[in-house]
Amino acid sequence: MKFIAVTACPTGIAHTYMAAENLEKTAKELGHTIKVETQGAMGIENELSAEDISGADALILAADIMIENGERFDNIPKIEVPVQLALKDPKSIFAKKPC
Amino acid sequence: MKEFVQKHKQYLLSGVSFAIPFIACGGILIALAIGFAPMGASGPDFTIHEGYNQLQTIKITVLKHILNIGSASFALMLPVLAGYISYAMAGKPGLVAGFIGGYLAKESGAGFLGALLAGILAGHVVNWIKKLPVHKLLKPIMPILIIPILSSLVIGTVMLFVGSPIAGMMEGMQKWLEGMQGSSAILLGLILGAMIAFDMGGPVNKAAFFFGASMLEQGNYHIMGAVAAAICTPPLGMGLATFIQKKLWTQEQRESGIASFSMGMIGITEGAIPFAAAEPLRVIPCIMLGSMTASAIAMVYNVGNHAPHGGPIVLLVIDNRISYIFAIAVGTVVTALSINLVKSLSQSKESL
Repeated sequence: MKFIAVTACPTGIAHTYMAAENLEKTAKELGHTIKVETQGAMGIENELSAEDISGADALILAADIMIENGERFDNIPKIEVPVQLALKDPKSIFAKKPC
Repeated sequence: MKEFVQKHKQYLLSGVSFAIPFIACGGILIALAIGFAPMGASGPDFTIHEGYNQLQTIKITVLKHILNIGSASFALMLPVLAGYISYAMAGKPGLVAGFIGGYLAKESGAGFLGALLAGILAGHVVNWIKKLPVHKLLKPIMPILIIPILSSLVIGTVMLFVGSPIAGMMEGMQKWLEGMQGSSAILLGLILGAMIAFDMGGPVNKAAFFFGASMLEQGNYHIMGAVAAAICTPPLGMGLATFIQKKLWTQEQRESGIASFSMGMIGITEGAIPFAAAEPLRVIPCIMLGSMTASAIAMVYNVGNHAPHGGPIVLLVIDNRISYIFAIAVGTVVTALSINLVKSLSQSKESL
């Protein structure tokens, strides 16, 4: 499947980026493609473009805070999880059903 | 109900994420200025006395300037906190009421709790006003005129009434904390330490951290001192554990032990996550034990920290430096020994 993801944690210096790395690694292992946007202390990095969003099957939202520009994702199925899950058990995220 | 709580936690943490750089910047600049200022009878003295030579005059002037910049950052912390809680809930139209609510919380002395309340209220009020049916002609001026004015009036009035009770509560808590000595201080240290280590930079950790940081603004540096000691022992302890008993750890873990140790030095609890993620039930109790030890020791010896950050890196702005290092060292050793003990016990069980 084609995934896109956004990661964001309150401090935005460690968890955000570790979660992004884990999601990328796990997606590769499971044979999915993924592009991960990080919303850390530096603001939005690796921003998802309109094409990325329209071309994706589902959005993984691994965030403990309200993400910026969330209205971009109004029309895409979502898997919403806390950041911690992407650190502890990223595989389980991909097993979830988007809604 | 669960979703309601979950959402509100997200709103609060969003606000916190915007406020953290303000606390860090303000705290460190203020601490720096105080650290280098001459000590008078009642704390640091920023007045230029007669008989100072040119160099001393310049030094005081510069330090005072740095103090002012830091204070400005601190003064903005509560408005930013409340403003962005409201922003997370209601978007741009929520900013004004949130900022004003946070400012009033600061002015009335309602502090951190008042700002949290103001932010949440502002978000709800704005979302509610947004839903009111309005005439087409009024629509364009809703977000720039009607919503800000109306919501600010509501929040401002609410803060007028709840401000001073909350301020009284904060003052009471402050007195209680100051009066805490002996066993109750140890208890608070233990609780804070457990919270800091529990999720290594997650929401529970942030709650304890923010409590310590907001106490800085009230002029209590001891809570942050205990928090700062607890922050660094999980990654330091896990690092140490891999150094002293190499055979218990895989090659990969030994490498991340080095990274973990250096993250501990700069006060990033998250360094312990790779270990905790692999074996949460073994690692988390051990790092909690270490952090609890460190923060309890820091409490007992009245360690103070003027910066909202932890680890050996903030040593310059610590009161009672020797005790601080002692607290960290003991916490680190406790963490390392306990995890190695747990691991060797479980490994010998497996090999049986």
